[in-house]
Order: sequence, then C-alpha cells, then structure tokens
Amino acid sequence: MLQDLINALSLGSIYLLFALGMSLVWGTIGILNFAHGAIFMFAAFASYVIVEQVRLPMLALIVIGALVGAALSVAVQVLAFQPILQRAKDLRSGEMQILIGGIGVAAIPLAVAEEETGSNPFGFSASSYATKTYALLGFRITNTQILVVAAALLIAVAVIAWLRMSRSGLALRSLGVDPETASLMGVNRRVLGLGSMAVAGALAGFAGVMLTYHLGAITPDSGDTLLIKAFAAVILGGVGSMAGVVVGSYVLALAETIVLTQTSGLWVDAVSFGVIFAVLLFKSEGLFGRKEVRRT
Amino acid sequence: MTGERMTGNRASSAPLLQVKDAAVHFGGVKAVDGLSIELTEGKIFGILGPNGSGKSTLLAAITRFVDLTAGEILLDGEEYHTLPAARVARRGVARTFQTVRLLPGLTVEENIRLGADRVGGRGGADGVREAIERTGLKGLERHRPGELSYGVQRRVEIARAIVARPRLLLLDEPTAGMNQSERQEVSALMRELQKEGLTQLIVEHDVQMMVDTCDHLFAMNFGKLIAQGDPAGVVREPAVREAYLGKRWSQHV
Amino acid sequence: MTAWYDSNIILIQSTFVGLLTALSLQVPIRFGVFSFAGVGCYGIGAYTTAIIVIRLGWPAPLAMGAGMLLAAVTGYLLALVLSRLGGLYLGMATIAFDLIVTVVVANGGELTGGPSGLFGAISDVGTVHVALTSLVVVVLLALSERGRFGRRVEAVREDPELAAAMGVEVRHYRQLAFVISALLGACAGGFNVLLRTTIAPTDIGFSLVTLALTMIIVGGSRSWAGAFIGAVIFTWLPSVLEFSGQWQKVIYGVIVALAAIWVPGGLLGVITDAYRSWQRSRRAGGSSDVGPGDGDRGTVSPRAEGTPA
Repeated sequence: MLQDLINALSLGSIYLLFALGMSLVWGTIGILNFAHGAIFMFAAFASYVIVEQVRLPMLALIVIGALVGAALSVAVQVLAFQPILQRAKDLRSGEMQILIGGIGVAAIPLAVAEEETGSNPFGFSASSYATKTYALLGFRITNTQILVVAAALLIAVAVIAWLRMSRSGLALRSLGVDPETASLMGVNRRVLGLGSMAVAGALAGFAGVMLTYHLGAITPDSGDTLLIKAFAAVILGGVGSMAGVVVGSYVLALAETIVLTQTSGLWVDAVSFGVIFAVLLFKSEGLFGRKEVRRT
Repeated sequence: MTGERMTGNRASSAPLLQVKDAAVHFGGVKAVDGLSIELTEGKIFGILGPNGSGKSTLLAAITRFVDLTAGEILLDGEEYHTLPAARVARRGVARTFQTVRLLPGLTVEENIRLGADRVGGRGGADGVREAIERTGLKGLERHRPGELSYGVQRRVEIARAIVARPRLLLLDEPTAGMNQSERQEVSALMRELQKEGLTQLIVEHDVQMMVDTCDHLFAMNFGKLIAQGDPAGVVREPAVREAYLGKRWSQHV
Repeated sequence: MTAWYDSNIILIQSTFVGLLTALSLQVPIRFGVFSFAGVGCYGIGAYTTAIIVIRLGWPAPLAMGAGMLLAAVTGYLLALVLSRLGGLYLGMATIAFDLIVTVVVANGGELTGGPSGLFGAISDVGTVHVALTSLVVVVLLALSERGRFGRRVEAVREDPELAAAMGVEVRHYRQLAFVISALLGACAGGFNVLLRTTIAPTDIGFSLVTLALTMIIVGGSRSWAGAFIGAVIFTWLPSVLEFSGQWQKVIYGVIVALAAIWVPGGLLGVITDAYRSWQRSRRAGGSSDVGPGDGDRGTVSPRAEGTPA
C-alpha cells in the first residue's frame, strides 16, 4: 500500500513537471500547446545524444534538457503560434489553428528523433549518474524518485510564488484573466508570451530528462501519451489554476496507480481519458479553475 | 407561414408584438429594466436612445437571442419567450444587425438566398430577384461581401431580412455607414414596405431620419422607456433631449 | 495500366479509406463542430465489422451496416452529451472519446482480441466496392455543399447566431454533423478491416487522428475536395519521398507544419482563392459594375456599440 503511494507520488511528480508548463501557457496566454509533448521528448533526446558523446553527470543533463526545451518552446512560439495568432480572424478560429499548428510542428522533432533512434527507446546509460534503490520498512524507493518528487514540489511552489508575488507573474496572471485590459495597462503580451513559453519549455525539458532517468529509457512517442495525461491533470485541477495542476497531477497519478494494482493493467489509460471526458461534461471549470463556460 | 398568418388574422385585434414589463439583466447590469411597448401591425416604429441604453438588447430579446430575466413578449397575443430563436425567425420576425453579419464565403445573392430559405424555398428566385432590385443591388449578385463597401453590405443585410417577407422587421442601425443618398433610398424602401403592410422597428442614431420615417417613436434610457408617441412630440420632450438629444441634436439638425 | 494497378493496389485502396477517414473529420469541421469523434467511430466500425464477420459469419455488407449503425447511434449520443461544449474543449473531449475506444477494445478480451487485435476478417470486398462507396459519398457531400443546405451549413459554421436568425435550428445541424461523421468513420473502418482482414488497437489511436487531421489541414477543410487532395497526398507521399531516404518523416513533418501555419485553407483554399481573384479580374475587365456606395469605402468603419455587459 505504502509502496503504491510512493509510486503514485513519483508518477504524479512527472505529470506535474510536464503539466505545469502546459498549464502556465494555457492559463495565461491562452495557448494549448500540442507541441509540448514533442518539446519534452526532444529535450530528453538531445541530452541523450550529448551524453552518448560525453559522459556527463545528471545536473549537466538537466541543464541541457531545460535549455533545449526552452529554446524549442520559444522557437515554436515565434515560428508557429505568433504567425497563426497574427493572421487568425477571431479567437475561435485562432484557437483551433493553434491546436492544429501544434500538432503539425510536433511532427518535426518526433520525426528527427524517430529517425535517429529507429523508434527504439533511448536512455542515459552513458551518464555518470547511477540509480540507487533504498529499502526501508519493507518498501523501496530510488534516489531518482526522491529527486523527482522533491524537484516537482519545489518547482511548483516556486512557479506559484512567482505568479503571485513578482511583477511579471502578476502581469501574466492579468493576461489570463482579461487580455484586453492587461494590454491597456501596458502589459507586453509578446514578451510575456515568449517568457512563459520559455519557462514552460524548460520545465518540459527538465521533466523529459527526469522521466528518462526515472524509467531508464523512453521512446520518441512518449510525449503524445504524456500530453493527453497532462491535459487531463490540467483540466481536472482547472485551467488557469496552478494549485489545481498540482492537485490534478497527483490525483490522476493516484487513480492510475489504483487502477493499475486492481486490474489487469490495460485499463490504466482509460483513467485520464475518462477524467477528461467527465470533467468537461460535468465540471468544466475543474476543481479550482475560474468559472469559464465555453459555449458553442 | 400561411398557417401562421392565419393565427395572425385570428388575433388581429391584439397588437402584432407586445413587450410586457420585460427585463434583461446581465449580472448586475440592467440592460432592459421593466419595459413595455406595443407594436401595431403595419406601422414603422423607432427606438431612440444613447449608446448603452438597451436598444440592441431589446431587439436581441425580441428575436430570442437573449433570455428575459422577467416579463413577457407576445407575438399575435401569444407568448413566445421560451421558443428558440430559429422558431421565432420562422414565425416571421426578421432582423438586421448593428455590425454587418454576412457570410464571407457566399456571394451577395447566396447571402440573400439564405434569408429566403426560412420560408421553405417559397418566394424562391422571384423573391430573391425582387429583394435585390429593391435594395439596389442589381449587378452585384456575384460579388462577395468582402469586395463591397460598408453601405452596400448593409443593403445586402436588409435584402436578406426582407426576402422572406417577414411580418415584423427589426432594423438595427440600418443606415450606419451609408451616405446621404443611400440613407434616403433606405428610408424610401422602408416606406414602401410599410405600404405593403410590413411592421418595422428601427434602432437608429439619425434623428432626422427617424422623425421623417417613423410613425411612432420610443425613447429609451438606462433600459427604461422614458417617452413615446408621435415622433415630433417625442424629440421635443425634455427628458428625451436631456438623455439623448442634448449631445446629438446639434450634430444632426 | 493493369500492371500499375496491380503493383499499387494497396495504395489505391488506402487512398479511398484515407479519404473516408479524412471526411469523417472534415464534415463536422464544415459544420463548425470541432469533433474528432469520427476516428473513434472508425474503431467502432472496424471492430464491429470484424467481430460480426469472424464470429457470426454474416456477409460483409451486413456487418459493415451494423458497424455504421452502432457508430451512428454512438455519434448521436455523443452529440447530445457534448452539446454544451464548443471549440477546443469539444476537440479534446472527442479525442478522449477516441482514446477510450482504443482502451476498451484493448480490454475486450476474446471478443476484440485484446492488445493484439483481430485477424481473419475475410470477405470478397475489394477495390471496386470501396471506390464506388467513396464515389457515392463524395457525390452526396458535394451536393450537400451546394444550394439551400450548403448555405445553411455555411451559416451554422460561420455565425450560429445569424443562422438562428435565419430560422436554422443550429442544434439539429450540429447533431447531424456528429452522425454523418460517425457514419463516415465507421464506413472507413469497416472497409479497412475487410480489405486488410486485421485490426488492432494501435491502428485507431491518436496517430489516426493526426493522420486524418493532417490530410485535411494540407488538403483544405472547406470541402470534400480538400479531404480528397489530402488523402491522395498523404497516401502516396511516402512512396514519392523514397528518394529522400531516411529524412522522409521529417519532410512530412515540415509540410504539415508549414501548411498548418501559413496555409490555413489548405491547398484547396489556395486554388479557390486563385480562381476567385481570376474571376474578379475578369469581371472588372468587363463592365464596371461596382456599387454606388463604393465611393465611401474606408471612410466609415463598422462601429460597435458597447453591449451592456
């Protein structure tokens, strides 16, 4: 039981690291970035390519992953989302083109990684970091799990604090609540958009590296699965609420862990899809979100 | 349509449209606040009022685009404020919009045909041709809205609204963006339609045109009716001048 | 010709199945309904057809019909259940629906063959059947894009409120979009399983959503013709791109990204725009029939009274 809880906690932390950035961007500049999964994966992939050449410690790979993620994320914003938003005739059609554009852009890093790896799993076996397993009171925990949980919670707290207390955080939140008034008050949408995309990308890259360490190896298409799960976590918590993402990620992970232990294992994925469906139907603002009724 | 006309005749003693104590509140904002008006068949009615006085909201309530918070709206003495907007439209309530709403992908003729479709294709090609001629759009049938000036686009909207031969026509600032000669043409068209028995309710800022065209004026402010009656009389009322004309009169007369 | 046909028979069949799949997403988009449920219905159609053919031994058309019926009912129920949702949220809910279908069939035990799927759905369905069905579908859809129905669909997509003011029951049109999409998806799935004789959960997941969407992004979402262009391109592109060797997938990705960002109307949109401007220039060259109000173009801009809110 306690073992399940530990597993749920580390799984939820991976979801959280991934979903934080997605939620940040979606809740503030209103972009649901479907390339977030590809950015996550490609950051891990880039770290893998480098570590195959140079034996590096974990910290170096984390930095590389975060930098690659941030760079990719900014590139997607500049090359894809900004042009789409500039040309969209209204918010509704813009929103859909963003979704489609994200899917389109995501195909490129995915293709590159699949090409290089032959769609096989890749991992950081060449890294100098070694996974250690501690056995305590009958349950087992790895040093990676501890790191993942600690990092996820610390970063979540840091992001929430940044949004609540700093000037730029306040400006970002105001964009999420009322973009027009915010721009009248002198909030620079463009700069903040790039900034939040960079932060989101760095978080995705960080999550990618951590997940690769945690699982030993990931496949190029693992970004897609995680994208859907993170989406479930975000809307479960409520779009625009950072505390909501934290709760959503862990609740989802816990539910999945329970399903995993109680069934044959194949039903696990149904949890997140079911959550998406149910939340959108019955409580579309999620657990902590602003009341945002999206009508047809 | 014929069937609905019959019910109309049956209750011909009642006014065509009655708005009774209607209220539309958006949260704390009372856009329409306890307003009652009656439209008798075959007349042109106008609504005056400053921006934000609730004129457009009233039209939206009549066409069932917004729900009433309180009160009722009756067509031919029959309450209809629970019907969906599409049903109200099929009962013969047509409207134009304050901001032009034409479909960019369709030609002028197709946009007008869209209005004709609601009567089940009746009026067909003849009706469409007639509407095009009456609004002076002949020769522009194959253009797309994006290629036309704003005034011309407004005329397409009017054509689309009249093509189905409605019983009640609601015009939301029909001449905004038009030049003087176009305004006069629209005004003449409204008179002509009136002679054919069409009841009209117009929201418009051009006071002179309203006085010239309408049989009866309502003046609104803060969602309430502040005056009504003979156009020349209404515009002279102190309350109306203060609420609306004080700022506008000098510009228009 | 026959030799070409024989060596490309799989690709030819795939083109039609791809067309039907792409149409199952294009039709709702044309109605302004951002639903990807057609892909889930592809799975429902494929699995129902396969199960009936393999387990009950019914003739293929009956099996496909049953699959399409089940999908249509599902589509209608989805339309009712999801009627409150629009835009992005509807898109995501229907993607979740598609993925739920994959999980359900992966857990269907013996009935659905679990994760490895079903084998041996053997029938005499061939290229002629899928080609003729596609032709009928395309003719019907082409008709639906014209005349009164076409105008109403245009209004429902572009401006639902305006459509209502024109007497159009927007709700019914949206429900219809779900049902047509379900029928098309199930039809595509049914044909695919009968032509390939196998189906597995991995055939109907997120990658199928991406592929079908890719086809209509690049082809164009406004008309059946866009789906057709997209289906042809993305069925044949891999064999055309063989020269590029290992970078095939990357080129593919770049094409999709460029189309999504810079050509929102797809190739069809480019063609239509070119045709229209050619028409305009021809018309302008003829008689000057510009409106009397054209003089004041630009002097008056649409103003919007602040709605009391």
